Amino acid sequence: MTRSEERGDRSARNAVALGAAIAKLGVDCALEVRGGLALLLPSPTGAVALQVVETRRAVLALAKDHGFTHVAIELPNERRRSSTPPTDASLLRD
Amino acid sequence: MALDLDAVSEADLAAKCSALVAWLRANGPVAVGYSGGVDSAYLAVAARQALGADGVLAIIGRSASYPAEQWATAREVAARFDVRVLELDTAELDDPRYAANPSNRCYYCKTELWSRLVPVARARGFATVVDGTNADDLSDYRPGAQAAREHRIASPLAELGFTKLHIRHASRALGIPTWQQPSSPCLSSRLPYGTEVTRSRLRQIELAEASLRRLGITGDLRVRFHDDLARVELAPAELSAWLEPERLAALTDAVSEAGFARVALDLRGFRSGSLNVLHGVSTA
Repeated sequence: MTRSEERGDRSARNAVALGAAIAKLGVDCALEVRGGLALLLPSPTGAVALQVVETRRAVLALAKDHGFTHVAIELPNERRRSSTPPTDASLLRD
Repeated sequence: MALDLDAVSEADLAAKCSALVAWLRANGPVAVGYSGGVDSAYLAVAARQALGADGVLAIIGRSASYPAEQWATAREVAARFDVRVLELDTAELDDPRYAANPSNRCYYCKTELWSRLVPVARARGFATVVDGTNADDLSDYRPGAQAAREHRIASPLAELGFTKLHIRHASRALGIPTWQQPSSPCLSSRLPYGTEVTRSRLRQIELAEASLRRLGITGDLRVRFHDDLARVELAPAELSAWLEPERLAALTDAVSEAGFARVALDLRGFRSGSLNVLHGVSTA
């Protein structure tokens, strides 16, 4: 099941559908949109799932199908806990 | 780096190398716009061997967009192959048209470079100025090529059909260490078009990439600048290894220390001209 929150720029790219499709793959993550870049913010289990090359390929294919040119995963950063996504980004979270 | 030995025939490579020697002898002496990258390093050494020590002058244009690591490589290669070097400072960052980072940013950079380099070369008796543009570059989006044409810069490697792979093979045959060096465009190429090029941003990118190199990343590497976010592109073959938790943490620390609040790893890995694709200047 997907719960989503979107704020800021809504592009023609289908971020909601991409988030749902990635969730169906079993990758638990939030999705932040920065233009053509789909930025995945995986949970610990989502990060483990993305270590599998076939899963990454599937995510890339889904992103392309939904109009994105780039996909990246944000890495856990213990140095940063206070910063927030920029206001012009879209954020979707499972 | 492993080279595909079957992709380049020995006869073809030998013919191209002979043609290059003939070209250099017909047009020398030459001043080379020299960065220490794969292409210009090969061209400078080939010119040194074809024309002798007095027949070539390698000229480095130094600025904040030129990584210190590459500068060191440039000097090292030149010293090893007895190529004379001249260094000039360039000031493209002081040009607001460049700093605004339009999609033809490279035009302003190369205009600045050649405007300074060509008169210096001519004053020293080098009527022919060459660059390391190769045949692969001709099919890419390269606004800097226009500046080269305006300043009558010759590109013998492109003219003679040398691809990057040819140049790597020929460099290896000559013992030039850059044969296996990843391609290394200027640091400004890590900033999306429209994002202002500043010395502090270039420094931040340079520090992050240098830290990642110290971790042992040897292949293609770019730290793409997205304001607070650094998006790291690694060679696809290296990606899986760097997704292991311990290495991922080291990678994150290395980039964070350069001043990025957020760090991301691109899932597709390194793509030349990645930001051109992201901003619709070229296709994926």
